[in-house]
Amino acid sequence: MLFMAGCTRSDERAAIPNKDRNVLHLFNWNNYISTETIRRFEKSCDCRLSQDYYSDNEEMLAKLAAGASGYDLIVPTSNAMDTLIRQGALKPLDKSLLPNLKNIDPSYLDTPFDPGNKYSVPYAYTISLLGFNQEKIKELGLPTDTWAIIFEPRYLEKIKGRVTVLDSQRELMAAALKYLGYSINDADEKHWKEAADLIVRAKPYWAAFSNTSYIKELATGNLWVAHGYSNDMFQAALDAKKTGRSFTIGYSTPNEGAVLALDSMVLHRSGKSPDLAHQFVNFMLEGKNSADLTNLLGSGNPNTEAMQYVQPEIAANKAIFPSRESLARLEMLRDLDRKQRRLLSRLWTEIKLR
Amino acid sequence: MKRNNTWLWSAAALVYAFLYIPLAIVVVYSFNDSRLNAEWVGFTLSWYKALFNNAEMLTAAGNSLIIALSASFSATVLGTMAGLAIHRYNLKVLPVLVFTPVAMPEILLGVSLLLFFLQVLNLTLGMVSIIIAHTTFCIGFVAIIVRARLQDMDESLFEAARDLGASPWQTFRLVTLPLIMPAVVAGALMSFTLSIDDFVITFFTKGVGEPILPIQIYTMIKVAVTPEVNAISTLLMLLTLVMIIIAAKLDAHASSRDAKTSS
Repeated sequence: MLFMAGCTRSDERAAIPNKDRNVLHLFNWNNYISTETIRRFEKSCDCRLSQDYYSDNEEMLAKLAAGASGYDLIVPTSNAMDTLIRQGALKPLDKSLLPNLKNIDPSYLDTPFDPGNKYSVPYAYTISLLGFNQEKIKELGLPTDTWAIIFEPRYLEKIKGRVTVLDSQRELMAAALKYLGYSINDADEKHWKEAADLIVRAKPYWAAFSNTSYIKELATGNLWVAHGYSNDMFQAALDAKKTGRSFTIGYSTPNEGAVLALDSMVLHRSGKSPDLAHQFVNFMLEGKNSADLTNLLGSGNPNTEAMQYVQPEIAANKAIFPSRESLARLEMLRDLDRKQRRLLSRLWTEIKLR
Repeated sequence: MKRNNTWLWSAAALVYAFLYIPLAIVVVYSFNDSRLNAEWVGFTLSWYKALFNNAEMLTAAGNSLIIALSASFSATVLGTMAGLAIHRYNLKVLPVLVFTPVAMPEILLGVSLLLFFLQVLNLTLGMVSIIIAHTTFCIGFVAIIVRARLQDMDESLFEAARDLGASPWQTFRLVTLPLIMPAVVAGALMSFTLSIDDFVITFFTKGVGEPILPIQIYTMIKVAVTPEVNAISTLLMLLTLVMIIIAAKLDAHASSRDAKTSS
């Protein structure tokens, strides 16, 4: 009788062979879940977790917009999630299936991207901050708790050619806006020009705009200061320690505030096993499973129950787990409108050409 | 004369160094005992061990090989036919159709193939859709190479075969095909290489749940590319080397046979 009910509800589902019914398809960043966690989940649900990867939110959006289907869960960053919600590409969550949602720190819930968390559950976050060679910075007597170190010539003089900043229009502008005391989503054209001037003034002191190579350069000692992502700084620090360097890599979030990039779990409309997807989301909200990712990557964790399983030296790191006051100064990037995008591209071209 | 020779040799040496030193570095660093792989730290085989325990990565390599072999095979057959047809007949539309995918930006081809598969053919994305997509952009390359070879050839060879009573099929099998074989092999090898490292088109045309090598490697960028990638690249290079040696052996065998029959 139950079987019959299943058939009439959806013929499509009945046509899927049995072995496929127990597969959960996750569209995720590569290496963004620990293999240990996967093994535990597969055991607990008697199913298989199959992953497909993207390296960029836009890539994922393009593929889904063209009509690709079959993905149960996706892990987009907030602004991409915004787009998915507006396109109507997501399934609302059934919160009665997610009792562990109570583990999430309320400061990461109810964001402007998804009011009331109708569609999304926070997964992990990174902060764009400053990484530095601790010994060198101490020796030169430079501050590490302010963006001034990458924008003010009086500091930059001492580290000329040993600094890189992110090669990203939004990220670099956000750092400059924050240093000037504005919001990263500030819409005032005057403020943007001010930020661009600040960048142009500091640019001669920078070695490069870099999105990935700074990890290696910092770990080998060629760079002394880098503007980059917290999880990359974690990798660099780990590598410098493992290879027994004479220096250590530190990282900290500037007092003025910084960009917070929150990745969330959402259910795609085309998913064939929403029940299993809810089961997975609830499983990932368990403290231990959530902690695995932080221990692996040094990613930020919005789960309060996870803290007891996070390695003590990571848990103590203020750059990965910001204090209340520091968290209040972090902001998430919102999508720009057309006019702002054009202005930003123009400013960026000027910055790059000068 | 002697002077010319030294120049030639040093130019050749530089070109080869430019081509092969990066590959050598990839191989050497696959034995490096450092996750970040920034500098040489120490010798280890642990990345190969990790690789052989990484079912996903091995499946991805297997899938990529199947795709590359199938796509290069069908592209070679179709591309050779297209090359012959374009050479022999004065066609207007076919050359445009065959050569366009070569010049078209990959992202455009990827998205349009995806839309075509989903909305026109109503095909479930999977290995088949990737093979079709790869065949599409490889045909043009094979056809260009085959046609170039045919243009250099003496038309009277084929006429002589027909005069001596060979059927069109016999002419093709015994005269044309052996003559254009080097171009066909070159086209096949080129298709194989293009297919096995294509990211953009593969990303768009792949279905859920099949790991494909270039996607696995490329998407690691967000976190960190580990020397495991060097290890699998080394193994693939080894495989490609073996294939090229076999192809060269076959070619040498064929040409020595040619020399015997013609003498």
